[in-house]
Amino acid sequence: MIGTLNAYWGERGAVIMQPYHTELGAGTSNPATFLRVLDPAHPQWRAAYVEPVIRPADGRYGENPYRFQHYFQYQVILKPAPEDVLDQYFGSLEALGIDLLKHDLRLVEDDWEQPTLGAWGLGWEVWCDAMEVTQFTYFQQLGGIDLEVIPAEMTYGLERLGLFLQGKTTVLDLEWAPGVTWGDVYRENERQWSQYNYEEAPVDVLQRRFDEHEAEAEQLLDKNLPLPAYDQVLKSSHAFNLLDARGAVSVTERAAYIGRVRTLARRFAQLYVGTDGDAPG
Amino acid sequence: MATLLVEIGCEELPASACREAERQLPELAKRAFGVEPSSVLVTARRLAVLAEDVPEQTADQWVKGPPVAMREKAAPGFAKRHGVEVDELEERDGFLGVVVAGKALAEVLPDQVDELVRGLGFSKTMRWDDSGLRFPRPVRWRLAMLNATRILGERSYGHRFRSGTIEIADAGGYAEALRAHGVEPDSNQRRQEIVAALDGLGEWSDPNRVLAEVVYLVESPVVLDCSFDERYLQLPSRVVETTIQHHVRAFPLGGNRFAFVANGGDPDTVRAGVENVVGGRLEDASFTFERDVKVGIDALSERLGAITFFQGAGSFADKTGRLAKLVEALGGGEAALEAARLAKADQASELVREFTELEGHVGAEYARLAGYPEAVCAAIDEQYLPDAADAPLPGTETGRVLSAADKIDTLNVSFGLGHRPTGSRDPYGLRRAAIGLGRLATEGKLMVPRELMDPEVTEFVEERFEGLLTAPVEYVRAARRAPVRDLGGVARLAEALAALPDERLGPIHTAYTRASRLAEREQGAAEELEPALLVEDAEAKVAAALERVDAEIATALDAGDFNAAVEAGAELGPLLDRFFDDVLVLADDRAVRANRLRLLLNVRDTLGRLGELSQIPR
Repeated sequence: MIGTLNAYWGERGAVIMQPYHTELGAGTSNPATFLRVLDPAHPQWRAAYVEPVIRPADGRYGENPYRFQHYFQYQVILKPAPEDVLDQYFGSLEALGIDLLKHDLRLVEDDWEQPTLGAWGLGWEVWCDAMEVTQFTYFQQLGGIDLEVIPAEMTYGLERLGLFLQGKTTVLDLEWAPGVTWGDVYRENERQWSQYNYEEAPVDVLQRRFDEHEAEAEQLLDKNLPLPAYDQVLKSSHAFNLLDARGAVSVTERAAYIGRVRTLARRFAQLYVGTDGDAPG
Repeated sequence: MATLLVEIGCEELPASACREAERQLPELAKRAFGVEPSSVLVTARRLAVLAEDVPEQTADQWVKGPPVAMREKAAPGFAKRHGVEVDELEERDGFLGVVVAGKALAEVLPDQVDELVRGLGFSKTMRWDDSGLRFPRPVRWRLAMLNATRILGERSYGHRFRSGTIEIADAGGYAEALRAHGVEPDSNQRRQEIVAALDGLGEWSDPNRVLAEVVYLVESPVVLDCSFDERYLQLPSRVVETTIQHHVRAFPLGGNRFAFVANGGDPDTVRAGVENVVGGRLEDASFTFERDVKVGIDALSERLGAITFFQGAGSFADKTGRLAKLVEALGGGEAALEAARLAKADQASELVREFTELEGHVGAEYARLAGYPEAVCAAIDEQYLPDAADAPLPGTETGRVLSAADKIDTLNVSFGLGHRPTGSRDPYGLRRAAIGLGRLATEGKLMVPRELMDPEVTEFVEERFEGLLTAPVEYVRAARRAPVRDLGGVARLAEALAALPDERLGPIHTAYTRASRLAEREQGAAEELEPALLVEDAEAKVAAALERVDAEIATALDAGDFNAAVEAGAELGPLLDRFFDDVLVLADDRAVRANRLRLLLNVRDTLGRLGELSQIPR
């Protein structure tokens, strides 16, 4: 599946990237999307990559066959959005072996918003026989900045697509490789990480880490080093997600934490966009 | 005269945008082309307008220039601007002007189509390129035709996957051309087809009204008869219903069957896929459900201390404690108290985390499984009713008590924290809660003591009466100032005042207003009324009647008979009329004067129990 998508989008000019090296809640946060979409020095950018996403509060100890704290997204970003972007997207489903005439494919309104990143866009859930297989978004704003060049983002749910292609009913039974199921590979992982996320993650350490990452991000922003600062924003965001899963964040604090991450993301975005000449090539 | 077709091709528009466009297009098209469209055809992928007998030439236009008197000074410039000589200018109604000839429709049509596209207003729009155009989703093609002539664009597009481009031979044949390619462009037609097919499958329901959306999700509807494993029927029925309606926009057919409206594809393949998705969702819900049931509703309720109700308002355990007190104050019995104790337990359940819209219902199901009496379960189920302006009230008395307690608490707490709704901002749904509470007190005839609400809340809730009751606003305002103990009483008093004929209300209104004004202005009223000082017949009669009427009003108010109270008050009218005619209140004798002022104050106080009558305009 991944190979097919890499080949398909690679042929269409996408740079095939690798997953990012720190925990992300969504492929959107990978600099290959977030930074490149903001980057005014490069009005054109196409990339495709797999992203393992970490969502501590979604874990169910590997007991629930549909919910996991770790799963895979396949992310495509096309900036600017080509006019035939939907045709290209549906072409990728055909490449995966989905017969568009046999199945019911439709675009169901679903607008996207990520408050911690100060980001929103309009788009759809793509349904294949009522299964949501992709989130499609035309970004409008990132880091609180209105985008000049509008990109299209496609986020394929790889497990969902796999269920569909293999005709399986639970992710645990997905054939990950011949004779090896998803459950064989990840179930124990889910159990242990769920226990960590919900029960063992040290609250005081995480709180301290959040503060440290936040402080470091600010220092780096002060020194005009937006790229390293961005990693600190991501790390503080992950620390917050863990605290949230631990139930250590009250409703009041929750809003405050989200506000702090958003403030960092905004500051980062402003600095990054302002440093157009120096933006990484 | 020609037949005109304009089609705006889009990427899949949300159903709400389709409906917004459908509402505006007739008027906008008429403004742009001068003719009422014969049909407006809307799908997610196209907004089309057809108009017949469209003049192929736009109308000549009279352009008004300077007044005749300014012929020397201003006419040459005006004439030059319009490319004519001064003596070619025409004179109409004292002004000079010029007739600008109409243009060929074909020439102006592209601009008019643009005007149409930009003229549509939507609640949510986006950008997708650098054209600056905003629309709910990207516009990908435009087609305009006059009869068989293409004016703008080359072609249309059929079903996204089944057919690519389509040639439209003739504007009038547009709909048929699309139908030949499997697209039904008329939303009414699609709705009828879907409903007919659903009817063909038997009893179907649409509790969450998804049909209005489905009509715009498909261009070639095919209704599929689907089913799920019967073991999921053990789930709360609303969980199944929500899964079917919300997650796949399908229609429950009763039992384990449901209908999915496909937009093409191979029916067997699509059905199998949809059944798999629904099965997966229900399996997920079952997993969650079984975990919750194993915990049980009582243990769930013990976890409420860890869940915040909202910022500054403590936990759901705190809320539960307050609910119990309110239920008691509202006269709720044992079942209502039990229901209050368990009302919020489902906030700790995993199933409500997945299906937030089923709060209350999930708790009721868990209470049933734990063997609680039906009165308790029904009240838990109904606690959020009425949840919309036209929604029903709870069907049981315990449900009404619990619902009122919940709303009073939410309002008190929110107002206490300063979350008063402003303009269109009402994140905690306080208007809905206040209207619901008002309806419980009026339609639901629930006795809601006003003292249970903070003064600000009482005011807010009673302001809602202004829109809820048939009595005019001023009568509501008058009644709100009466010392009535319960919320419903305020409403009934307002209705009773409004029902009193003008000739009966007039005299007491006047007396009350005059008495209030005099009492406000003049000092020195006697502490007590002295009967011996009532020297005039008219004042003696008022004093005598007042004593009787005051008792009558008190009795009627106690009995909740507001019509009788108002009628009793009105009896004073003729006597007061005479009093003001015959008696000089500000008499020279200080004692007499003080006594008369006291009498008027008593009149004011007695009539004041019927409300602040001066609010009613005369």
